[in-house]
Amino acid sequence: MRTFFETLKNLFKRPVTIRYPYEKTYIPEDYRGVIAFDENLCIWCRRCEMVCPPGAIVFSQDMEGKQTYHYNRAVCIFCKECVRTCPKEGALVQTNQPAVFALKEENINNGWNKLYEDAVKSREAYASEKKRQQKAASEKKNSEAQQALTKVQ
Amino acid sequence: MAKQYEIPVGAQHISLLEPLHFKFTTENEKIVDTSANLFYVHRGIEKACCSKFKFRQVSFVVGRVCGLCSVSHSTAYSQVAEKLIKIEVPARAKFLRMLVIELDRIHSHLLCLSHVAENSGFEALFMKTMRHREAFMELLEAVCGNRIQYDFSIVGGVARDLKAKVAHMILGRLREFEPQLSELDDIFRNNWSLGLKNKNAGAIGLADAIRLNVVGPFARAAGFAIDVRNETEDLLPWKAAGFKIVTGTSGDAYARNLVRLGEIGVSMRIIENVVRGLPDSPLLTETKAFPEGEAVVRIEAPRGELFYYAKGNKTQILERLKIKAPTFSNIPAMVEGFKENEYGSVPAIIASYDPCLSCTAR
Amino acid sequence: MKRIDTSVERIKGDIADFYRPDKQHFIVMNAMDLGEKIEVQWFFNEYAEPYETTAFCTQISPGTEIPSISDIIPSAWVAEAELVDLLDLKIGNTAKGFVLEPDFATGPLRKNRQDGKTI
Repeated sequence: MRTFFETLKNLFKRPVTIRYPYEKTYIPEDYRGVIAFDENLCIWCRRCEMVCPPGAIVFSQDMEGKQTYHYNRAVCIFCKECVRTCPKEGALVQTNQPAVFALKEENINNGWNKLYEDAVKSREAYASEKKRQQKAASEKKNSEAQQALTKVQ
Repeated sequence: MAKQYEIPVGAQHISLLEPLHFKFTTENEKIVDTSANLFYVHRGIEKACCSKFKFRQVSFVVGRVCGLCSVSHSTAYSQVAEKLIKIEVPARAKFLRMLVIELDRIHSHLLCLSHVAENSGFEALFMKTMRHREAFMELLEAVCGNRIQYDFSIVGGVARDLKAKVAHMILGRLREFEPQLSELDDIFRNNWSLGLKNKNAGAIGLADAIRLNVVGPFARAAGFAIDVRNETEDLLPWKAAGFKIVTGTSGDAYARNLVRLGEIGVSMRIIENVVRGLPDSPLLTETKAFPEGEAVVRIEAPRGELFYYAKGNKTQILERLKIKAPTFSNIPAMVEGFKENEYGSVPAIIASYDPCLSCTAR
Repeated sequence: MKRIDTSVERIKGDIADFYRPDKQHFIVMNAMDLGEKIEVQWFFNEYAEPYETTAFCTQISPGTEIPSISDIIPSAWVAEAELVDLLDLKIGNTAKGFVLEPDFATGPLRKNRQDGKTI
């Protein structure tokens, strides 16, 4: 019977719901948001890529050796492992902005899978090209040394 | 002998929160026999943790086994991994883990109580309990940065620290919630129409509870006083923070509601003790060791005893990870508890069992 | 954790001697594929001090039949049904199909598999 009177009293009180989006909801200032990258501080050690649990960070490398950072905000779980592992303070920072919705043009799921494979392949291509160049240079040095030796003799 | 009908409460049902399927054989609307079919959300997490993910990343994978007891899974995995690489966690990290586990327990019990009230037909109480739960979701967002997936325990310690402003907020909200909790307790205990629907519904006696190895509030409501927090103190100091066990007597849905309300009160006391007495120490222990050997950990999730077994082989990837969820142990007792009940009280009984099928069918 | 190594013939007798419903409780059964052999484990825990976990372990070659303990421990049928599906073991009279669908690959947690079946 008491509950009945309580329900009658609640009829005249303000509702408890927050009328979102006209009123703001509670967002703390250290909310776990997207990761920001500072290119000038990075030392390109790729530790963040090895540690990321879902694989949201990948580095691609062009034929001169310059690396580029790629990050997918839809795959990221905002766990901050990359920030904890990075040896240079300030290169990777977690902001408090939630991730923005992705449009169809971005092709954020299948496009990312292709980008990941291409990035890994580009790194392997650069590594094998560098090895080939090193081998050619060392062979050239060996043959020059041989020639100098035969000339002396 | 009256005619027997078979009625399913199917994988999709208007009153179910979890995807489970029971097929009842009924005679004049009284249930005679039950068969269960439960593994609808099997995702192969154990195989993924042993083939694709490195052992430090597994704590994030395992936190996504369940949405309601997420921090219990990641804490249990962190503890078993710490046993495999043989390190000790600093004291402040232990107390912060206890804080988040107890906040998680409060929000999970409030969700279960509101669901029982909804399935018993009392919608106003459902809305009232959910409104109280919202205050705790905002607290969890302030402590962990997110409302459901906390990613709070990692191998070696915890990920975030507790700021003074957030500690102040926690104590203020607990003070506001105390009179509201006693009001909820009064309604669940004394309301006559709720009692008609919940008393003698899904009852399990003490002898059956012992014979069927039941865990969690399901066992405690039948009078069987077991709780993992009552046992060893080496991993997390529960009794030092003020833990007391809460039991009931009759083992039906009414007793389970009261046990959950009592546990919310105990959790509030533990949280207050932890926030007032946090020691000073670093948050993480760093090491470069690889896991080897085998280890076992048990922890009290909101629904019962959670068990982890892990075996390492000196590489970055584990050899075997075995997870046993609390609802997994309760399945035979759930099937047994339906006997002699009316078919119409089945939604309220299933809600009072508090099944978590994501943990069971990982 | 206390580890007791036993064999498939003796496991039922060992558990019947060890298990008292008011003193221990059965947690779960576990099995791992070690390549050549499969290791099967039964976990129990005490209700009183010192709250120790006991594990009965045995190693079998694939295809051996394991006795079912559901007549001693009534709630063990769930753990056995899970292992029958996930590792393609033979345990007592337990039928397949509790965990995985009938047209799914057999024994996903085993190591040497071919075309979706265990060999």
